[in-house]
Amino acid sequence: MNDVYSAILNSYTPRLVSLGNDITAAIFQFMKVFPATFCLKRAYEDGLVTSRSLIIESSSGNMALGLALACNLSGNPLTIVTDYACDDCLRQRIEHLGAHVVLVSKPSSIGGYQQARLNRLAEIRAENPDHWWVDQYDNPANPGAYSFLAEQIVGTIGQIDCLVGTVGSGGSVCGTATFLRELFPEMTTVGVDTFGSVLFGQQDETRELRGLGNSLLPQNVDHSIFDEVHWVGAAEAYTATRLLHRETSLFCGGTSGAAWMVARYWAARNRGARVVCIFPDDGHRYIQTIYNDQYLHCKELWRVRLPESPVMVKHPGLASSGWSCMQWGRRSYVDALTLAGSLAK
Amino acid sequence: MKAKTNGCDLHRDLSESCFGVGYARSIAQHGELFQGQIEDRECRRRRCLVSLPCKEMYSEATFEPSTTKTITIQPPHKLKAKRSAELTCEYLKVPWNGGSIRIESTVPEAKGYGSSTADCVAATLAVADAANTYLTEEEVARLVVKAEVASDNFMFQDAVLFAHRDGIILERFAPSLPRIEVIGVDTAEKSYVHTLEYPPAVYSRQQLQSFRILTGALRYALRQRDVRLLGRVATASATINEHFLPKPLFKDVVAIGRDVGAVGVAVAHSGTVLSVLFDPQDRQLERGIHQLRQHLCDLGISKIMRFKT
Repeated sequence: MNDVYSAILNSYTPRLVSLGNDITAAIFQFMKVFPATFCLKRAYEDGLVTSRSLIIESSSGNMALGLALACNLSGNPLTIVTDYACDDCLRQRIEHLGAHVVLVSKPSSIGGYQQARLNRLAEIRAENPDHWWVDQYDNPANPGAYSFLAEQIVGTIGQIDCLVGTVGSGGSVCGTATFLRELFPEMTTVGVDTFGSVLFGQQDETRELRGLGNSLLPQNVDHSIFDEVHWVGAAEAYTATRLLHRETSLFCGGTSGAAWMVARYWAARNRGARVVCIFPDDGHRYIQTIYNDQYLHCKELWRVRLPESPVMVKHPGLASSGWSCMQWGRRSYVDALTLAGSLAK
Repeated sequence: MKAKTNGCDLHRDLSESCFGVGYARSIAQHGELFQGQIEDRECRRRRCLVSLPCKEMYSEATFEPSTTKTITIQPPHKLKAKRSAELTCEYLKVPWNGGSIRIESTVPEAKGYGSSTADCVAATLAVADAANTYLTEEEVARLVVKAEVASDNFMFQDAVLFAHRDGIILERFAPSLPRIEVIGVDTAEKSYVHTLEYPPAVYSRQQLQSFRILTGALRYALRQRDVRLLGRVATASATINEHFLPKPLFKDVVAIGRDVGAVGVAVAHSGTVLSVLFDPQDRQLERGIHQLRQHLCDLGISKIMRFKT
């Protein structure tokens, strides 16, 4: 398994690119392959998995592909439970790598597709005695995987004043920030979420923007890490992604655009501070959507102008349709919402 | 011909004979800037360190070959240095069987000054000198680690990450350390740490992961000569070490250091000494050091050692 990890590290190491304005982007071709491989490596080390064990995970796409790559190299059979958000191209690619894909067609009344996927996953677990569930939301190896990124960042640019990244499972931002804070405890951490995600206290709703946000609250989201939380909508994220492409020629996915929009805002207000922004994947998966003008116009997901700054809110419930920001202040989920609730009244 | 390792002069006897009395000298250290355990590229765990070299203390070795069957050493308790001499004779395939070696050292033992490494480096180089030959830094490192199991890395001129139980360099960071102004203190003057009597630290996963970012920071700090970041690395490494070999007054010294403008605090990971690190470029340097002395005095520490890397 160590060979697999080394191979993945060598093939998928992110590039650190300066975008000017003191922003450095950690550009991943495909970030999720790191937590996928690292979780598997840890499971081998802990004796939870042998080369014959069936690996199981629920994922709407990227974690699934990451595991498919890792299991393809390790030789483990893999079953992925997913839903409509996993497009045909991605599903085919996962299958080409030798994994079995189970599609859930109806959302659960509570917890949406994510809960429905977990229900199906429980059935598969019961049917297979020698299995291991990756459980990216609660597995500490998911954030733990990012020590290599923290090492690379600090080894390349030294002192860091702010980390900006989108939050989904809590792995990348919470992991990287925790490691960087061991050297830079004063570093600001900015999390980017989307409307209708429960991660930072909003009500669960159907979300257009994918790759960030969540209908469930993973244990891997450590709320006390965050100084600032932003909510970004699909139209803003997609427009920002296209702007990123035009201004920097970087061809990235929608979460990268969302993170970049927030990082630019933060950097403009904190001149001279060194900002690192995580770009989780490249744009090829989104050619038919984010990079398709017709798609954007038909679905009204294009903004002629991006707002220059977010609406400042004192409670997550007050963040509605447009880019919003709340000073989270490194509080726990309960503290932030309780205090925010009393202030909002 | 003159061989040199980090401050350790090996000079030739002027006699024309192909071997004679050998002499060498080695500097010591004042604890380590970093000590931990990392996975190398093959995912093998390696214990490693970066010494904080100190030229103020040194060991000198004189080696005289003889026709006896064994090597004798003075003072007799310096068995690791004796072992180094034996291993070096064996390695160099010298034409004599025995000899006598004398170590004269200003390095106190069991404090974290790397006294045994200094003795071993000097002994190894003295044998090479007697044989009228030359050893590379890497050869010295391997021989010394073989003799004393775990060694410090001041036999290298470069700033390196040294696997101190394997005797190999994991990474070469820079041609030298940046200039650091150091105030060294011994917070436990009456206690001693014998390296091999202490079991190696068993690090948690969290700590092992922390070492990754610390080595990343070392890479940047040493290449860019960023003393402030280097200080942070030293403090972080020392803080992890507190779980295994706590130092009296460590927290107090870290807090005082912060107040007086020090960049960090390094410790001897196998010893009792602490080093408060300052940036020599700092305009407030002398004021900071003055204040530090006063604070240390309040804590009952009056004996300090000031030096530069």
